[in-house]
Amino acid sequence: MDAAHVWEFEAIGTLWQVMTGRPVPGGVRRDVAELIELFDRAWSRFRGDSLVTALARGAGSVPAPPDAAAMLALYVAASEATEGAVNPLVGNALAERGYDAGYGFADAGAQPAPADWPARLTWTRASLTLAAPATIDVGALGKGRLVDLVAGLIGDGVGGPVVVDGSGDIAVRGTTERIGLEHPYDAARIIGVWAVADAALCASAVTRRAWGDGLHHVLDARTGEPVRRIAATWAVAPTAMVADAVATTLFFDGGPAFAHSQRAQWVRMFTDGRVEWSPGCTAEVFVRADSVEA
Amino acid sequence: MTAMTVTPVPRSARTAAAAASVLGIAALAACGGTSAPPATDRSYADGTYTAEGTYATPETVETVSVTVTLADDVITAVEVVGDPKRRESEEHQALFIGGIADAVVGRDIDEARVSRVAGSSLTSGGFNEALELIKADAAE
Repeated sequence: MDAAHVWEFEAIGTLWQVMTGRPVPGGVRRDVAELIELFDRAWSRFRGDSLVTALARGAGSVPAPPDAAAMLALYVAASEATEGAVNPLVGNALAERGYDAGYGFADAGAQPAPADWPARLTWTRASLTLAAPATIDVGALGKGRLVDLVAGLIGDGVGGPVVVDGSGDIAVRGTTERIGLEHPYDAARIIGVWAVADAALCASAVTRRAWGDGLHHVLDARTGEPVRRIAATWAVAPTAMVADAVATTLFFDGGPAFAHSQRAQWVRMFTDGRVEWSPGCTAEVFVRADSVEA
Repeated sequence: MTAMTVTPVPRSARTAAAAASVLGIAALAACGGTSAPPATDRSYADGTYTAEGTYATPETVETVSVTVTLADDVITAVEVVGDPKRRESEEHQALFIGGIADAVVGRDIDEARVSRVAGSSLTSGGFNEALELIKADAAE
């Protein structure tokens, strides 16, 4: 969007950018900060005072955070679509590979996440319960959910066009954004452009949250091993939570069918450089014409 | 010897003998390739044996089925069949794929007139800071 007011801040370990037609009032900024703090205190496995840390330490049952039902229901669908590759109890597996709360980055090997997670992790309106201690990691869709929540608050508080960019998870309301699809191996280049209007685009790539010997933050929960076949994914959906979830499932075989079920469009790039996209995809992908197969 | 994991079952009844490792199957196939007798004192009845094994790839859990034919303790034929479920699954997936290109052509961010870029999340520092660094690197 042009001639916008830009508000930048850091939260949940990354940079956020909010663009609006008029400045965001101080009261709305405080509301956004409080919203993010509450979300983080519920879901961050990186802080000692969060609900998921309490559950990891054996609390058993905690008061359900407001987003538990929406997020975990989508996790069920994503997990089924990927035959278990997506799993919200993957936190211990990530920590074992070195992506732990202390950012130790010391690899202790592959550890699958509990395949029977829907039996272990249950929720009601009132409570969130783990039958045995485990570490919840909502990385597959949590940031998208938070982007939706922030965009909602900004929209209510400011009105007019709104763009909320949580560093790769982007909600666009009342305007159109031309968003470049970053080349996973060359951040100075893009492999396409997507014009997004009144929807959300979420991106995921294995190249930045990476450490050690081929290790990065997208693990197959069934094996505890990092994915090797897909380098980057992008999805567009009505909400950032859905786009984020679809972008995650696209690292696995079940991703395209899941995207279809969620009415999402997508582009994904394989580690060998090939690029694939959804039927009727509106992204402009820069490909050599003679290399395309319908 | 890993060939021990093969249990005699009728060819038609493909029971899920899930224990056969991929390594075991590879060793078995190698035996077949050289037509050497299995390195074991045990003797097998002539016939056709089938075993199934599963292994996890980063993206899927794969199943392979290995059928060997034994005559006088020598493997005379080996057939390795990948999981048909996966192939069906790929055909099924193809319904949800619009197209694929072998060659993607990157373009400079500066040339592309985009308002923002989406890739992996920045881990620290500012978006613009990082973008400026990237541009500075690219300018060198």
